[in-house]
Amino acid sequence: MSDEVVLQTRALSKVYRDFWGRQKVRALKALDLEVRRGEVFGLLGPNGSGKTTTMKLVLGLLFPTEGEAVVFGRPASDVSKNERIGYLPEESYLYRFLNAEETLDFYGRLFDMPASTRAERVDALIKQVGLDKARKRPLQEYSKGMTRRIGLAQALINDPELILLDEPTSGLDPIGTREMKDMIIKLKEQGKTVVMCSHLLADVQDVCDRIAILHQGELKELGRVDELLTVADVTQVKGRNLTPECQNEIREVIARHHGELLSMDNPTTTLEELFLDIVRDSEARPGRRAASVAAANASDSPPSS
Amino acid sequence: MVLERQVLPYFTWLIQGEPGGLGALPRFLLVMFGVGLAALLIGFLVAALRYGFSRGGDLTYRTVYGGFFELLQTKWRRVWALAVLAIKEARRRRVLVALGVYFVILLFAQWFLSTDYPEPARLYLSFVLTATTYLMLGIGLVLSAFSLPSDFKTKTIYTVVTKPVRAGEIVIGRILGFTIVGTVLLAIMGLASYVFVVRSLDHTHRVDAETLTNVMIGGKLQGYDGSTDKVMSHRHSVELDAEGNGLAVLDRGHTHNIDRVGEDYKVSGPIGLMKARVPKYGKLTFIDRNGAKKDSGISVGFEWKYRSFIDGNTQAAAIWQFDGLDHDSDDEFLNLALIVRVFRTHKGVVGRPLTGTIQLRNPETGVVSAERSFSARDQQIDEFEIPRALTDPKEEPIDLFEDLVTKDGRLDVIVQCLEGGQYFGFAQADCYIRLPEGDPRTNFFKVNLSIWVQMVIVIAIGVTVSTLVSGPVAMLFTASFILLGFFRQFFLDVATGQEYGGGPLESLVRLVTQKNVMVELDPGVGVSIVKAIDDVFQGFMWCVGQLLPDFRSLSAVAFAADGYNVPWDRVWQDLTLCGAYVVGLSILGFFLLRTREVAR
Repeated sequence: MSDEVVLQTRALSKVYRDFWGRQKVRALKALDLEVRRGEVFGLLGPNGSGKTTTMKLVLGLLFPTEGEAVVFGRPASDVSKNERIGYLPEESYLYRFLNAEETLDFYGRLFDMPASTRAERVDALIKQVGLDKARKRPLQEYSKGMTRRIGLAQALINDPELILLDEPTSGLDPIGTREMKDMIIKLKEQGKTVVMCSHLLADVQDVCDRIAILHQGELKELGRVDELLTVADVTQVKGRNLTPECQNEIREVIARHHGELLSMDNPTTTLEELFLDIVRDSEARPGRRAASVAAANASDSPPSS
Repeated sequence: MVLERQVLPYFTWLIQGEPGGLGALPRFLLVMFGVGLAALLIGFLVAALRYGFSRGGDLTYRTVYGGFFELLQTKWRRVWALAVLAIKEARRRRVLVALGVYFVILLFAQWFLSTDYPEPARLYLSFVLTATTYLMLGIGLVLSAFSLPSDFKTKTIYTVVTKPVRAGEIVIGRILGFTIVGTVLLAIMGLASYVFVVRSLDHTHRVDAETLTNVMIGGKLQGYDGSTDKVMSHRHSVELDAEGNGLAVLDRGHTHNIDRVGEDYKVSGPIGLMKARVPKYGKLTFIDRNGAKKDSGISVGFEWKYRSFIDGNTQAAAIWQFDGLDHDSDDEFLNLALIVRVFRTHKGVVGRPLTGTIQLRNPETGVVSAERSFSARDQQIDEFEIPRALTDPKEEPIDLFEDLVTKDGRLDVIVQCLEGGQYFGFAQADCYIRLPEGDPRTNFFKVNLSIWVQMVIVIAIGVTVSTLVSGPVAMLFTASFILLGFFRQFFLDVATGQEYGGGPLESLVRLVTQKNVMVELDPGVGVSIVKAIDDVFQGFMWCVGQLLPDFRSLSAVAFAADGYNVPWDRVWQDLTLCGAYVVGLSILGFFLLRTREVAR
């Protein structure tokens, strides 16, 4: 991650008004943010907190009431900034009468890409998002997950430097969610900057370097995820194959040093991990019954510390 | 054919315009300047009200400055991508159903179109071309008005405007895409309608041998006269030479060639059903009943002032002066055509046409030809083949070109009515010299081109309006624009106070109080207020009138139906007008879309 700021908002505010100019909602209040090159930045907040409004202001889909958004040093209203941006909206707003190839070709043309580059890029992206077998099917026949994937592909058609993802895991099943998160991490590894907004906290925690928490249009917290989540006065020790004697010794050591033991037990895995294990196993060994899978998992699982 | 406005040479039309008027180019620049200034003021006022005076000014400046800069960055690859998208969208919206509707119309048309009509081709051409016009305008309206609003509704516009797409490219892409769709539909309809007309009117006759009589001159057989059988509600007189070859005489606007084959006669298909006459118009002046020169004839009470009349059996005459003729011409004939509007103040002899005379005169020397009489039937096109060898009133031989055409190519044609108490009505376009006829197929293409021009203008209006409002509102607005465009002259006449009954509010008052348009309203404070408000209304109407396309004058259907060639000058003018509307509306649409919050 470099210090180069690719996205900046300065006292960015948005007031929604009715036809007569009367104030309806103050959606965003004087937001100051900076996103640096190469980081994954999360905008967090409950529904109506101003996340999507912020993203739309950055993209120039809305005009600020006050303040300004600057992307790559240019104002948000400057269309040329879009050359370096990819955007995945909350719902994949795509032309449903086009198929995957036509969709990506169309968006490629909007970037004024030459035909040969376009063809290569379309092919690579369709394979990358796993829609190779459905490339000729019109989008109206796609499932929600497939639509999200083609939506992501269109956001990446120009190999953007900054990718804005609005609720990227919305509507995806756990596998799709994991793939989306893997994709975000991969983009970060490629040096891309990702700004995502979500109210699914676990997703944000998994992939974001820094987050901003918004509530009722105001910035409430901003910082690195690991710093914000670290509980400074608690120490966590994990071990494997510890005997009861060993565990007792640990308790004694803590007591000798006047520490307070909060808990010592076997942790549980996450439901997401369990689900993904089952699906992976099912794909590797199709036809096995669920009960036997569960039993096998139980017997195969190493004892937890 | 009624030709209320003379077709000016292209560059005269473009730069100078009609005498006392303004050329098309300066008019366009003036309108663009006016609209631009109004848009700038309104934009600034709205921005100033919302964001304050200085920020509003700054926003307005940035919008205009950045806007023009953006316009220059238009990329045709993006425009084409958006055009292709529009084409696919139109296909998805089942636009081809329109073709089905058109074919159904053609299928049942013959139930209602009669061939028992003096010029059946006129009826058929008028029908198919009018049907094509309205259908194409309807298609253009529906396609253009709903497309962008649908993108806003489904939010697909989000994924487009977040790419480096300029608002102008979206507008031009839509216009281009729908124009391509419309062009394909129009080409199919045009081809189908041409085949329909030709196939529907195609027929032949049999020479009725029993009616043939010998034509003898000096005891020698010169040929045969007779008639054909009756087909499509008409029969032709037949004139054959001694070998049995000849033709079926002109009837219902066409002839047939007849060839003797053994004992039979072979009659060809109709010749000259579809015409493309190329007229050369002169300048019309009048002489009144006392012999004084006038600019127009007398009124016989018609409200329409297109034609004025000369009274019969007086000195009154209509005089057309033609120029550009060749004094040294080798032609043996001068082809002249005359359309007479007959106005009778008494029945005369029932069934007998009125008699008139034609004389040719040299405008410099005053040498005139002997009077040539003709029978005038109301609105009929009489065609004269005037031979080169003529005589003057003293029966001295004169040469048409050498004696009657001046060295600089001018010639007067004088027409009079011989019957007292009867009147002939003329407009400038009612007498013309017939130049070699054009190709009817090319003419048909030109008329379809005029339909295309109207369609493109409708599409451009629809797309531009739809950048701002929802689909139904855009459709209503565009439809109103089309409707007003068809009555543009009336609209402008109301705006400039040339129509009886005052402005819109005064008309409403008259409607409610049941006062006819010829009666002045009783003076008072109320009437003064109404007239003051009407002044504002009429000013606004005048401004709107400057933007309205005159759809009635853009239509060239009458040319093809009446059998006249559409001048190429007129075609270029229409295309230029179309280009001007597309350019102007695209710029307007660009700024409207650019200043719109897409995600609202």
